[in-house]
Amino acid sequence: MKQNNMLAMILAGGRGTRLHELTKKVAKPAVSYGGKYRIIDFPLSNCANSGIDVVGVLTQYESILLNSYVAAGRRWGLDAKDSGVYVLPPREKADANLDVYRGTADAISQNIDFIDSYSPDYLLILSGDHIYKMDYSEMLAHHKACGADATIAVIEVPLKEASRFGIMNANETGRIVEFEEKPKEPKSNLASMGIYIFDWKLLRKMLMADIKNPDSNHDFGKDIIPEMLRDGRSLYTYKFQGYWKDVGTIDSLWEANMDLLDKNNALDLSDNSWKIYTEDVTTPPHYIGPNADIKRAFITQGCILDGEVKNSVLFTNAKVMTGAKVYDSVLMPGAVVEEGAVVHRAIIADGVKIGKNAVVGDPNSEHIELISKRVKGDE
Amino acid sequence: MANAFGIINFSGRNIWVEGMQSYRPIGAFSFLGRYRVIDFPISNMTNSGIDHIQVYIRRKPRSLIEHLGTGRHYNINSKRGKLHILFSENGMDRDIYNNDIAAFIENMGCIERVNYPYVIIAPSYMVYSMDYDSLLRTHIDSGADITLLYHSVDNAREAYLSCNILELNRQKGVNAILPNHGNAKNRNIFMDTYVMKKELFIELVNKAHKLSSAYSLADVVSDECGELDIRGVAHRGYFGSITDFESYYAANMALVDSKTAMNLFDENWPIYTRTNDSSPTQYFETSEVKNSVVSNGCIIEGTVENSIIGRGCTIHSGAVVKNSVILPGAEIGKNVHVDNYVVDKNARLIRTKEIVAETGHPGYIRRDDVL
Repeated sequence: MKQNNMLAMILAGGRGTRLHELTKKVAKPAVSYGGKYRIIDFPLSNCANSGIDVVGVLTQYESILLNSYVAAGRRWGLDAKDSGVYVLPPREKADANLDVYRGTADAISQNIDFIDSYSPDYLLILSGDHIYKMDYSEMLAHHKACGADATIAVIEVPLKEASRFGIMNANETGRIVEFEEKPKEPKSNLASMGIYIFDWKLLRKMLMADIKNPDSNHDFGKDIIPEMLRDGRSLYTYKFQGYWKDVGTIDSLWEANMDLLDKNNALDLSDNSWKIYTEDVTTPPHYIGPNADIKRAFITQGCILDGEVKNSVLFTNAKVMTGAKVYDSVLMPGAVVEEGAVVHRAIIADGVKIGKNAVVGDPNSEHIELISKRVKGDE
Repeated sequence: MANAFGIINFSGRNIWVEGMQSYRPIGAFSFLGRYRVIDFPISNMTNSGIDHIQVYIRRKPRSLIEHLGTGRHYNINSKRGKLHILFSENGMDRDIYNNDIAAFIENMGCIERVNYPYVIIAPSYMVYSMDYDSLLRTHIDSGADITLLYHSVDNAREAYLSCNILELNRQKGVNAILPNHGNAKNRNIFMDTYVMKKELFIELVNKAHKLSSAYSLADVVSDECGELDIRGVAHRGYFGSITDFESYYAANMALVDSKTAMNLFDENWPIYTRTNDSSPTQYFETSEVKNSVVSNGCIIEGTVENSIIGRGCTIHSGAVVKNSVILPGAEIGKNVHVDNYVVDKNARLIRTKEIVAETGHPGYIRRDDVL
């Protein structure tokens, strides 16, 4: 806390229903991405790399795996004396009934006591299900330079897609004059990334009022930000340039993985000055057999490959047996493509087997197929 | 939990790995791309429930200490357990005195204070999987004073020439520990691994120290073969002895074959190492990779055959790497052809296009070197 007196809270309760079977037993932030990572590794590593020492993770939906995963703060180096990752699911309190988090702002309101125990000057609110690399200390410097009450990170999106986002209309100094949630006719292309820095004292006061407001959705985008604008508070945008992806669907999760295959791609996971940290697994390096043919692929440790792999991302311990073919696909941890099987444009979920000579997916399909159950082959 | 503590011993004066060992002790050598040799004995110990491990270092401690750290990555209980790094300073100036007995004498206080009745001593320069807890039970059940681990080989004429051999009688009693002179092909190679009571170990160390300042643990145990009940236990599975340059190359290359690797790696017997947080490896359109082991963090645009690629290597387009062990961080430039080489860490092969050694005599490129 000493370094910049900013505490981070990661909203990680998202269910991610459009990811179907992938989020049946785990929350969206725990979904695997990029061969060896989980999505929440990105905000956590960003925090560690930005010099933030204390991170609260607000979990709710199917949180067993997520809770145990983030509780091991040392994965991200967040385990020094004054540092830690704290898992914060809803809890029963002396003066209130046990209640789920009713909205993003309510998740923070219910943990005011936790935040107060560190008495931070600034509170950083993050989403646990976005893939990007960002230095939050630069955003804080911007926040201070503007003398802002709140700063919202924004990214330029194509204007025709702007109606899918929360759009910030700002003046030439970057001060926000209007916020529109999913506007039909967007006036600007600056989309909110769901990353906020607040002056903690002010936000605390507003949250206390919000708890008692029966008409509130207890949501930052719907309630807190509009309320601040109505009050004439100074809210500023912080323009982010770089790779940023919200993987809400099977197609976009696949796309985000495929983005890693390009040379000099914008996410650049091999940049040693801003590493993304994750669980340390104890498998050997990957083994490539005498019959393998690997082109345009992103492959991690523990894989065993003796077939053809093209334009694909392979996660820990994935196997592609002799004569099998994997094209334009994502093999999640432990997925197995047996001898002679062919996979096109698909995501094979964790541990799922594609049997001998089976064919899944279609090279000409519009959408990506998610295979989450064993596909039987010739036995 | 095993009722023993562990000692990881350093290589003696009979062992020298040309080139690589000038930079670091054998335990700190990169192995199979992502490991260091010492990861294997330490993981064997922690997997066997040994929580108190002493690692002895004879020279060049930097890379080993950096790699071992607090030992947390080896799954050692951070309160009950201990990874104790013991660097011997005496005898630094005269190598003849710089042996394991001198190191044990120097650190006798640390040995005496350990509260386990048995000790398991394993070398930092050999790679194998072994359940020391079951070895300890075998030792206790047999009633022997000392149990030694060995591996039967049929190529002792041309390999294992810096190793010792066990001369066994029919009851697996050890008659002698002798140097391998390479005069017979079938030999029982001593894996420099001992099990005995802590008290006996201390007694033998003190005895050796009195007999000769140049004595090693193997010397004094060999002397005792007539007096004590010393038995051999055969090890099966993969065995890599890194005792000269050729054996370092061979121990790595043998594991390119995934069937051989299955004799070393087992899901239920994880080999721990320090994570480097490297990203997965990226393969491009021009890559041609066959029969190889590749670590994370690499960029591969060229051809790799029958080779081991360490973490964070770059193989540029048109480069051809065959029958080679490429250590972490190395770069193989455009159209460079490397065959039958060990390329040490962070070396950059850019300008010289043909780097080829004759079969049976692997070549060596120095650490951080630019060619």
